[in-house]
Amino acid sequence: MRLLLVEDDLLLGDGIQAGLGQAGFAVDWVRDGVAGELALKTEPYAAVILDLGLPRLTGLELLGRLRAAGNQAPVLILTARDAIADRVKGLDSGADDYLVKPFDLHELAARLRALIRRARGEPVPVMRIGALELDAAAHRVSFEGHPVELSPREFALLNELMLHAGRVLSREQLERQLYAWGEEVESNAIEVHIHHLRRKLQPELIRTIRGVGYLLPREPHD
Amino acid sequence: MTKPPRRFSVKRRLLFMLLATVALAWLLTVLMSYRDARRQVDALLDAHLAQSAALLAAQLGAEFHEGNEGEEEREEIDADDLTHLHQYSRQVVFQIWQDGRRLLLHSANAPRERLAAQEKGFSDAVHGDERWRVFSLWIGPGQPLIQVGERHEVRDRIVGSIAEHLLQPLLIALPGLAVVIWFGVTRALTPLTALSAQVMQRDPENLTPLEASEAPVEVAPLVESLNRLFARVRASLDNERRFTADAAHELRTPLAALKTQAQVARAATTDSERQRALDNVIVASDRAAHLVEQLLTLARLEPGRPVSPWQRCELRAVAAATVAELAPLARRKNIELELDPGGPTPVDGNPELLRILLRNLIDNAVRYSPTGSVIRLAVTPERTRVALAVTDQGPGLASEEREKVWQRFYRILGSGETGSGLGLSIVKRIADVHQAAVSLDEGDQGKGLRVTVIFRYPEPA
Repeated sequence: MRLLLVEDDLLLGDGIQAGLGQAGFAVDWVRDGVAGELALKTEPYAAVILDLGLPRLTGLELLGRLRAAGNQAPVLILTARDAIADRVKGLDSGADDYLVKPFDLHELAARLRALIRRARGEPVPVMRIGALELDAAAHRVSFEGHPVELSPREFALLNELMLHAGRVLSREQLERQLYAWGEEVESNAIEVHIHHLRRKLQPELIRTIRGVGYLLPREPHD
Repeated sequence: MTKPPRRFSVKRRLLFMLLATVALAWLLTVLMSYRDARRQVDALLDAHLAQSAALLAAQLGAEFHEGNEGEEEREEIDADDLTHLHQYSRQVVFQIWQDGRRLLLHSANAPRERLAAQEKGFSDAVHGDERWRVFSLWIGPGQPLIQVGERHEVRDRIVGSIAEHLLQPLLIALPGLAVVIWFGVTRALTPLTALSAQVMQRDPENLTPLEASEAPVEVAPLVESLNRLFARVRASLDNERRFTADAAHELRTPLAALKTQAQVARAATTDSERQRALDNVIVASDRAAHLVEQLLTLARLEPGRPVSPWQRCELRAVAAATVAELAPLARRKNIELELDPGGPTPVDGNPELLRILLRNLIDNAVRYSPTGSVIRLAVTPERTRVALAVTDQGPGLASEEREKVWQRFYRILGSGETGSGLGLSIVKRIADVHQAAVSLDEGDQGKGLRVTVIFRYPEPA
């Protein structure tokens, strides 16, 4: 899942990017509000992590413009201000969640997962499709009751396919959700990950729709 | 608990002073009246004595002339025979001495020895334990001596009675006066008592002005001063609260970075990833430490706190030492630090604070300067002042930002710099402590930023 991080502090931004990367997210990091706005116009993000004290365009201003433009991406605000008035203001401006610095990376990742689930109308943390089970929080996948070892990228790919089960996802769509800017993507990376998933799970589980993309059917045999 | 110091009561003091003054004035009046009365009584009774003697002389002189030589010795005459003379005549005694030695005649209450040794005019004498006032008169040449006397005690009694009458009203009036003063002062002090109650019932947080509309003229300045003090305390409290809140918030970001990087290091799957995160942990700790250091420096520079030692410093030498200290930092960004040569630049101040001031100025310049640029320091002695200027070739400051940079935690956004945001606040505080003026303007050829600190040239030692 691809996230946008808008944070001007170099060390903190670097840490969040690396930490969320470890949790299986692809994180684009911009350092000011204007760059954040531009990124949101051009890329579909699963969620946005927004610092409030930003140069050029403050976090709240960016949030206002984002919502005014009809962008519904869930937004989590990161701030050093913990006064209730500040929190209320952030949430009323269209934010979906709020974390006060310093925070725990695991909590940040969990909240982001919850935000993304809610935004996609998937309130259940454990997704089940047929014999396939995916626990996003625990980063666990099992098939027919047996745990399956997946790399973070494979996990993210399966997560995307399950979230959009029954819909065909193009290779470009999947790449965009799995890779942040600047990450080197081999031209056949998605194919390779699909191949691995099929091998580890069941060959016919993920279908290839030639010239369009990939599909995970809602019902295994439809 | 220690015993509170003895306090004086306005009421008691006023009461005491008023009563003492009234009593003293009254007593002085009594004393003067007493002395006056004494003089008058003395004059009057002396006149009576003289008159009695004259009467006696006239009467006896006639008898002697008629040939009655008065052979009976020590004839006693009841003084009552002379009562028509004066109401005090009962107290008046007389003696008639032949040749001044032989007692011819005397009043019943007169002593037997001569009333007075003196033989003419008024004199004082003592008989037994009584003092007498005596008037002596020779009836004529070769004729007897008349002495008329009177006890002093009589005069004392008269004058004493006068004084007593004068004192009596005072004894009645003083307690009455005390009561009146007590009530008067109590009433007059009511606004003070009310004010005291108003202050006492106050919440320590409550720094709103006191109600002063009903305060009398004497109390109004106190209320006004209190209200001014409240306003000052409130302003300083607000400032401190804001600072504490700001400081806490400013510490959160470096701490968040620290924690995040630490968690990244823990979850890292490769050595290089872990190494990178751990390096960042160290950078983040340094940054948090720097912020804490700057906060402490600022706290130590609290206004009103005495600075010691305070001595004559050579500003260029301090600048040179600081340049040497920060040169490695500058070199890392390939920035050159230059210090202009020149004459002596004496400044009165605290060497440590001057060093902190210079370090912050240079550190700031290094942070905002591009790689390969030059930072110039100039310390210039002038007639009445010593000017320190730090000029960089960085992006400079928009004029609307020049005022804001002195605020605590103000940071030029988008600079990507991780300074504490306190550097220039510290510079300003230290300049204030040294009564130096700080100003910002453009660097050479309108580029970069120049910070100028102007110290006063010290008085010759």
